[in-house]
Order: sequence, then structure tokens, then C-alpha cells
Amino acid sequence: MLIKFRINGDPVEVNVKPGDRLLVDVLREDLRLTGTKHGCGIGACGTCTVMMDGYPIASCLQLAAMCDGADIRTIEGLAGTAALHPVQQAFVNKSALQCGICIPGHVMAACALLEKNPDPSEEEIRASADSVYCRCTGYIRILEAYREAIALARSKSA
Amino acid sequence: MNPRDPRLAQVDSFLVVGKDVVRADAVPKVTGAAQYVADLHLPGMLHAAVLRSPHPHARIVSLDTAAAAAMPGVKAVATGADTAKRKWGAFRPDLYPLAIGKVRYVGDEVAAVAALDPETARAAVDRIAVQYEVLPAALSLDQALAPGAPLVHEDASGNVAHQFSFERGDVEAGFKASDVIVEGTWESARQWHTALETIGCVARWDNDRVTMWCNTQTPFLARGRYATALGVPESQVRVVQTEVGGGFGGKSGDDNASVICALLARRSGRPVKLVHTREEEFLASHPRMPMRYWVRLGFRRDGRILAKEIKMWADNGAYTGKSQAILGAASVRHDALYKYPCVRGNSTLVYTNLVPTGAFRGFGNPSADWAVEQAWDLAAEKLHMDVFDLLRMNAVDPGDVSPHNHRITSCELKQCMDKAAALIRWKEKRRKKAPDREIKEPARGLGMGCSVHVNGRRSFGDWDGSSAIVRVNEDGRATVITGEGEIGQGNLTVLRQIAAEELGLPYEHVDITRPDTDLQSHSLGALASRLTYVAGNAVKNAATAAARQLLEAAAEQFKRPASELTILNGEIGPRNGSETDFRPVGAVARANIYKPGGQPIVGVGSFDNPSEFPDHNRYGNESGAYNFIAQAAEVEVDPATGEVKLLEIASAVDCGTVINPATAVGQVQGGVMQGVGFAMTEYFDWWNGMPTDPQLKDYPLPGAAMVPKLHVAFADSYEPSGPFGAKGLGEIGLDAVPAVIANAIADAVGVRIHELPITAEKIHRALHPGLYAGEKPAAPAAPRGGTWARLSAGKPSGARPFSPEFIFARTVEEAVQLLAEGDAALVAGGMSHALRRERTGFPQAKRLVSIMRIPELQEFSIDARGMLRAGAAVRQQVFSEEPRVKERWQAIDDAMEGVGHTRIRHMLTVGGSVGPLIGGFDLPLAFLALDARVTVAGPRGRRTLSLEEAFQKRFAKDEMVVAVDVDSPPARSGSSFYKYMARRVLEIPTVNTAARVSLNADGTCAAARAVVGAVSWKPIVLDLEALAGRPVSEKSLREAVQDVRARAEPLSDVRGSAAYKREMAVEFTARALITAWKRARAEKA
Repeated sequence: MLIKFRINGDPVEVNVKPGDRLLVDVLREDLRLTGTKHGCGIGACGTCTVMMDGYPIASCLQLAAMCDGADIRTIEGLAGTAALHPVQQAFVNKSALQCGICIPGHVMAACALLEKNPDPSEEEIRASADSVYCRCTGYIRILEAYREAIALARSKSA
Repeated sequence: MNPRDPRLAQVDSFLVVGKDVVRADAVPKVTGAAQYVADLHLPGMLHAAVLRSPHPHARIVSLDTAAAAAMPGVKAVATGADTAKRKWGAFRPDLYPLAIGKVRYVGDEVAAVAALDPETARAAVDRIAVQYEVLPAALSLDQALAPGAPLVHEDASGNVAHQFSFERGDVEAGFKASDVIVEGTWESARQWHTALETIGCVARWDNDRVTMWCNTQTPFLARGRYATALGVPESQVRVVQTEVGGGFGGKSGDDNASVICALLARRSGRPVKLVHTREEEFLASHPRMPMRYWVRLGFRRDGRILAKEIKMWADNGAYTGKSQAILGAASVRHDALYKYPCVRGNSTLVYTNLVPTGAFRGFGNPSADWAVEQAWDLAAEKLHMDVFDLLRMNAVDPGDVSPHNHRITSCELKQCMDKAAALIRWKEKRRKKAPDREIKEPARGLGMGCSVHVNGRRSFGDWDGSSAIVRVNEDGRATVITGEGEIGQGNLTVLRQIAAEELGLPYEHVDITRPDTDLQSHSLGALASRLTYVAGNAVKNAATAAARQLLEAAAEQFKRPASELTILNGEIGPRNGSETDFRPVGAVARANIYKPGGQPIVGVGSFDNPSEFPDHNRYGNESGAYNFIAQAAEVEVDPATGEVKLLEIASAVDCGTVINPATAVGQVQGGVMQGVGFAMTEYFDWWNGMPTDPQLKDYPLPGAAMVPKLHVAFADSYEPSGPFGAKGLGEIGLDAVPAVIANAIADAVGVRIHELPITAEKIHRALHPGLYAGEKPAAPAAPRGGTWARLSAGKPSGARPFSPEFIFARTVEEAVQLLAEGDAALVAGGMSHALRRERTGFPQAKRLVSIMRIPELQEFSIDARGMLRAGAAVRQQVFSEEPRVKERWQAIDDAMEGVGHTRIRHMLTVGGSVGPLIGGFDLPLAFLALDARVTVAGPRGRRTLSLEEAFQKRFAKDEMVVAVDVDSPPARSGSSFYKYMARRVLEIPTVNTAARVSLNADGTCAAARAVVGAVSWKPIVLDLEALAGRPVSEKSLREAVQDVRARAEPLSDVRGSAAYKREMAVEFTARALITAWKRARAEKA
């Protein structure tokens, strides 16, 4: 079946042959957007997190057919040509990464939270960071990156 | 106490070293541009799938691949017969790339397929027919060591893969002189690296040479072993390191994945990609080696250590990999931590028919520390000393030599202990212990422990060196050429900083290469915490040589002696010269080339660890320097459940000069949390030699919510043999963590854990033996279900070629009609279908009918009477965003928190969670407590029934959920929901409970209901009519739920034993009722 959706603002049409093809496969294989990672296949690790209509979802559990008409955003769609997205910049500033395989998931989860709620509580930050595993950092720097992103966004809008 | 080392003053003057520069890999990693092995795509590339042994031990009677090879789209099939039939391995070659004759563990590679797409490759694997003769297996240390045990390898009698012993000093005399002796046995467990990127390779042959793009941490060592396994000369193999998505020892090139990938590429003549599925990573990567560790320590009355003895047996698994070296590290390393005058040891590496073990951050130290650091804690108790004082009194000092000739150079262990104690406020918090007190409330405790680690280790022959080339380009930028690589720890950044500092260039002017075995010279790679120290020294030496050449070139150009010149921030000029006297490095380098007989600036440097190759019995100074850590933890233990809450963990590290503070802190924080996982969350249930569900679901990693306050400090320390005084620190953050937590638990509630993992159940059992006195343990039963059927046939997880039709139904009636036609499945969020596809490989229905575009199922409303209606297609996140839910139906709001994250709540729907009628699910249980009604539609029309009735009678197969209605609760009502995940296993909790309490105006109970899920086939519903009209108290509510214990029919599984689940069902039902009651009271006020 032919599905149409927006990917990082651009319209795309993908012929999804098996009706149960997953969004993560469409992104990584059909569209070659490999920034979204495949970590566990069961929605547990969060490295495949992308935004669908403004919400974070596990693209490894998302049937692609159901994305017809949706607005999908991935890690590739965040940075402008001149500058990183504030959330990306925050992860760089705070050195909130090591091997980096989980970082696209963390950045997308953080974006999804901060776009809905630019001033989240510590609890909300923790819950969001908790939604994506990181095997390297011990999370402290990722939590700092959330706070840095909030500060960067604030100074940008001020 | 510690007079400041005068060399530390020079550290303060460094321009690049010690500064938080931007990591070399930061931007590509935050933009998704970084290329990991799974991201590679070559033209014509095939995808591989592997058939694995489903038996722990079996003879291969026959193997038929004809049907697989004949499938359209299949381009190559390989079995052991197609290999060079050569065993390979780091120390003891015992592993075939594909099994020959026998399989020795569940997961052993039997055959492999390369096909046009992964689905076809898996389907072809399904068609490979293997006949096995199942052999008796050795599934534990005890079974493997028993007389007459089945032999895992015929050439290893008694299943002993390796053994050594030592006695250094007079141990008998030491124990004889001891006033206090402690001893005990501690057991550790398999821990998987669980790098979020699994092991993988893309291989391509060009004529007789193969290029392997691998995520290995040790490209050169991998090349040598892969060449052996492939039966080709070493120079015919080119290994290129891709971005590595986490290593931790697990990508040290001891597994078969890359070799099989190269075999398939050779047979098909096309590039092949083979990336482990998460399941394969659990079945066939090489996790941490479990050890049974007996230790005895003897002390003089004043606390001075007099003697130590260990006996240790380690579970090698079916193949050896690096485990032989791990055995050594676990036996002798710890003796460089305290001033042991004499030690005796006997260590045995034992083959079992279990997944092979291997290197994992800590390399044996964590299992040794798990035992010995607890034994020291026990000793402190027996000596009536504060463990801090005991450890500090015995800590090694610079100049000490361990009984194994480990020579301590720089050492600030005592400073580390002081810093860790200060960070956690040890003295202030450490209370007097009252040993016989009864613990009723959550209790806090403190624990401490230390560890020592190497900086490189002579393991693979008598060399632990590194070499590097530093090239200064004609534009003034430098390139560091090294094959050591990056696995996420920040090594490339650290090496760039070292080169920049030594060259006098800004950090941004130094680039560095990734490993490509065709380009760089031999290197050992990321292991043994060696890179900062060993590779750092080599890079520094190469930079020194390049700087010398630059200065000599400048001398000619400036017409002054080189000794009068200096390089500063990218420019060369006279020492004490003015700014205008300086000339850019690029100009000097270019002028040195463009002249008759000119040449580029190329510095070469190497370094060999000033260490000794240990003998068979592990005598020899294995590293030129040692790093140290002291750690302290504070925990809170809930005696009602046994749950341990981590409050704070303080780590103070002596790693010499800190080259990059952010990276160094990150290494320690990350190591600590891996230690927490090792201690508390990471383990499987096993059945017949394999994990019952080898996926991340059953193997939860610590998440951000679990992270305590983590303090990290570094000692003022300077290692004379290190680059700019630096030592390594990659592993040491992890080593002592499990022991430190266990010591804190012992301090809190007096329970000493001897066997990893530390679980809430073990603590609960130790605190309440009476509750378990009448327990009749049930015989373990074989797992069942589609996943198990696939696993026990050795087939890979993931989808097979399958093309269900996908239909968006427009009305309920259309969906019902499609369902009635048969072979159709409803999808709402679609998650259950996706999960089934991944886990079983075989989807259910030929038609997927989405209900998400049926307008009436989208309804989410609260009507004038306050009734909540949620249509089947409503996403659960909607409940979280509606403030009235939190006000009136708190149980639903609590359940949303139980579901976890927005990511999952936005995918789960009302219909998807209510439809299957599973009490262990969160939302339906909350609905049940709130007397919800459910409307279903079927070919016979619609009907509305109570959810309770639905749970009793089930829905018909052709019915679908339309909506759920929940009435507004009466005045003075409260509700609540609890989800207890004893170890965070996903999907179904240990127990979940929900409750609702309504009060009369006088505060007596009007109505109360509690429901319990996950401990019986149907939820247990308690309508507590006996409470009606009576005053309510915590005591009366607790009494009212006691018969949950008898009504529960839990199964023992990875979430806890049946007996523990019963106790937790009672506890959390009581908690749910008490919370609901308190909320009802609060509403009245």
C-alpha cells in the first residue's frame, strides 16, 4: 500500500509492501535516515524514539501503515543549516554522550517534552530521560543536558 | 597529611590537558550523522541470519541446507563444512566459526544464510533441517565439576579449562598469628554488556582480500583472530572500525559474528551485513564470567591484615575467549589494594554448556571485589571497627609491592577514601548499630569499598605497547595516526588533547584517524583501561618527535638555535619573543617541504608498558601503573518489601592527571551505574541452559529514574610514567559497586547478601523467615508460547516474509464484519502485532484491521453527570493530559504513571489494553477498581457489561471493544493504583493493585473495593462489605486484605517466587487501600 506522510517537514510517499512493515524500517531502509537506531525491537530501549504528531513514539513498534497522514520528525530534522537545535547543542555543551548510539533517542525524547512543556519539573525531566536507556553515561549528564536545553531555549526566546 | 606533590603545579599550567574541550565526536552523534555498523549500506549488499543450537550439548547427526539454498533470494548458505575447520580464540583456541560435529551451548552457531533481505534470510534459516543427538549437559559449576560429568570439550578432562595456584609468603603463620579470622563464599552472575548497539559486521571481498567494517574495540587483535578463523594470511584481512555503539569488553572480537559474515560474503561474492539481534546478543555474545569465590582473611586485633587465602571457580561457559586472563585478574589484582603480607590462592576455570563468558569492564575485579570487599566489611564488624578506619589502616602506599610483584608507583588511595567519606558525610551519618533491633520502617545504611585497576596489561604476548604517528600538515594542523580507536569512552578526544598539549597547538588544530588495519601500525585497542596511559604515551612521544622536527625546521628559518624557540598556540617563535616575532606553524611546515630536499614533518613515537609478562601462576608486575578508587553508598531498605532505594554513591578516583574532566566524570558515573545493574537488576531466569526470554524485557538496565545522587571526585595525583601524569580510569568506576551496595544493605538491616544479584526478595526472605516457613517450592516448568517455540528450534527473532493486507475500517460495523470474515486481527496502537512479529517471527492474521480511523472510537468525554467515556481508539496519553482524571479517578492517573513513559502511553490505546482482559495490565485494573463498564460490538449487535463480568466471562472472539464508561465517584471518595515491579521486568509486574474507598460524612466507610492483578489468571476482586459503616484505620484496612494471600495463585518466575508474590500482593493491596482512604479523607477536607 502507498502511504503518505511528512518526514521532517517534507512530504514523502512510501510503498509499504508488507502491511506490517515498521516505521523504523521505513526510516532506516527505505528513506536511509539511519540516525534513528534499532536497539531492541520491543520498545524497551528507546533508541528508536521519533516524534509523531508531536509525541514521542517507539518507531520499532509503530506499524508504518498507521503513519499515513502523520507528521514524523527524526533526529535528522532538528538542526538547521547554520546551527544545531538547542537540545542538540545542550548535549554537546554538557558532553552528555559517550558511544552516542542512544543519543538520537534521548534528543528526540527531550525535544518532545520541551516542545509541549518548556519549563518541566525535575520529575518530568527524569521521567522523560528514563524513557530511553543509556548504557554509557549513568544519565547524570543527560539530565544536565535537559536543563541546559531549557536554559538555551529561554535565552534564545529572550 | 598529603603534602601536595610539586609536580601537580605544572598540571595547572597546561593549556589543553585538563580542559573540557568539545568531544571530537559530539556533533555527529547529536545529529544522527555518526555511522554505526548497522547504518552502512554497500551496493548489492546481502543480509545474514544465523541458525543456532537449541540444545546446550548435542551431536549434529545431519544437517540439510538444500531447501534453504533453493529459496528465491538466498545467495549463500554456510555450515561448518564450508569453513577452514580451524578452532580460534584469544588464549585457548576452542571455537569453530560454525559448529563441527557438536554444539556446546544454546546459541552455538550451526549454519548461516545470506539473502536479499533479512526476512528471506530468516525464512531460509527456518528451512534448514538439523538432526541432533542430545547429550547430557553440564549446566552449572557443580554439574561440570561432579565426578563423571559430561565433558564439554574432550581435551579438557574434568572440564578444567585452566588452573593455577600460588602461595606467596607464609600464609599458615599469618592465620596462626591472627586474632580475628573471617571467611565466606560469594557468587557472582553473568552480566551482559548490553551495549545498545549489538555486535555486527559488514564484509566485502575484493579478489582474495576481505574488508570487514566492524564495531570491534580491538581491530588489530580481531584481524589476527579472524584471519586464523577464515584460514587466510593476516594481511589479507582489513578491519575498519566503524563508530562503536558501546563496548565495555563485549566487542573484543571473541565472537563468531564477524567471521560468519566474512564467510558468507566470500561464498556469495557480494557484501554481507550481519548484525546481532538483541536476542542473539544475549544468546551468543560473551557476558561477564560468574565466579564462586571463597575468601578467608586474618587480622591482628588492631585491624592489621596478616593473611589472605582464596579459592575460586569460574564458569567459563562453552568456549574460553579471554576468560583465562580474567581468571588471573580476579585472583591477584586485589592484592595490590591492601598491604597483604602473604596470600594463597587456587583458581580454576571450568567449562560448562552455557553461553561463553568473556571480558566485561572490570575483567574479574568486580567478582573479586564482590567477595573480598564484603569480607573486609565483615571483618570490621568482628573487629568492632569502623570499616573506613580498617580499610584506611591497611591501604597500600606508593612504593609498596604486592605479593605478586605488582609495583605501586603513584597511589592516593587514602586520599580517595577521605574524599569519598567526606562526599557522603560518612562520619556524620554512621550511627551506632543496634544489632538486635526489629526493623519496621525503611532503614538507611552506609557501605564502603575500594578497588584497584591496571593501566594496560601484558596479556597477548610480551608486549603491551602502542605506536603513533603525528603528522604536522602544511596548513599547520596536525593529524594523529593511531589504530587504537574510540568506543565512546572519549579516547580520540583525550589523545588529541595530549598531542595538542605536546605540540603547542590549539586542540581544534589536531585531527585523529579511526582504526583501519591497512593504514596504522599494530595496536591492541580498547582494553584493560590502557588507552590514556599506553596510547597516550605513544602519542605524546610521537608529538615530541614532531615538535622537535618543527623546531629544527624553524631554527633554520629563524636562523636561531632550536633551543631558543618554542611552539605556542599554533605559532612558533623565540622564547620570550614578542607577538610579531611568531610565525604560524603551517608556514614553518610548508617552508620545510618546499625547498630542495625538503620533507614533511612526521613524528613517530611508541611506548611499551613498563610491566612484566606474568608467569603461569600470575607472578609479575602486570602494569606499569595502577589506578585506585574508594566508593561509599547510602541506601534505604524497605523491610515490608525488601526494596533497596539507592540514595547516594560517592566515588573518589586516583587516575593521576585528569586529561578531560567531563569525559573522566562520565566514565566514573557510567561505570557506577553498570555496577548498579550488575548488583541489582540484570539477570535472567534460566531453563535448560538458556535464558527463558532473552530480550531486554526480562533484562532491565538501570534507567534514569534509578540513578541516585552520584558524587565523583578525583585525587590530586601525578603518575610519573603517565602522559602528563595521567593514568587510566575506564573500568574502575564499576568494580566495587555491588559490594559497596551490599555492605550498605548489611549496615541498614543486617542482611548480608552472598549471591548476586541483590534482589528485594532475598532481603525480604532474610528479614521475615517466618513468612516463608511453610513454602512448598513448585517444580520449575518449561516455558511455553510462540517465542519459546521459536527459541527452542534455534531460529532467529524478527519478521519473516509476510504480506498481510492493511485496512482502515471506517465504522465499528465494518470492523466487526471484517473480523467475522476470519483471518483478521484488529490493530489499535498496533504494538501487540509488532511485538508478536519480532518475538515469534510469525504474525497471526492475513488482514490487519485498524480501528484508529473510526470516529466514534475516538470519543473521550466527561458528561454533565461526570461520567467518563473513553473510546477504544483513545490513546492512553490522553488520560495523563486531562486534569479532571487526576482529580476524580486517581487510580487511572496512577496507572498512567505505571505504564511508564509518554512514548508508550501515546501508543497504547484503551481498546488494546482492555480487549485482551489481562489483569496484569495497568489501565484495566484501575478501571476495575472504579466499577467501569465496557461496551462491545459483535455480529449480534452491541452490549454493555461491567468490566468485572467481562473478566469473568470473557468477550466472544468476534467481539470488539467500543468504549469504557466510568462513573463519577460519590463524594468523599478516593482511589489509587500501585504497580510493583520487583526488578522492572516489562509488561507484567510482580503485582499490581488498585483500590477505591468512599466514606460517609462521619468518616466511616461507605464502600471499599480492592483489585489485585498479575498473581492469578483473573484479577482478584475484594468487595470489602465488612468494612461498611465502620471506622477506618490503616490497621483495619491491612486486616481486610489478608485473604489475598490465600486467593492469589501466582507462578514463580523472573518477577519473583510464588511465595514472595503472595506477600507482595497483600502488602500492595493494603497500600492501595490506605492511599485511597487517605485521598478520600483529603477530599472531604
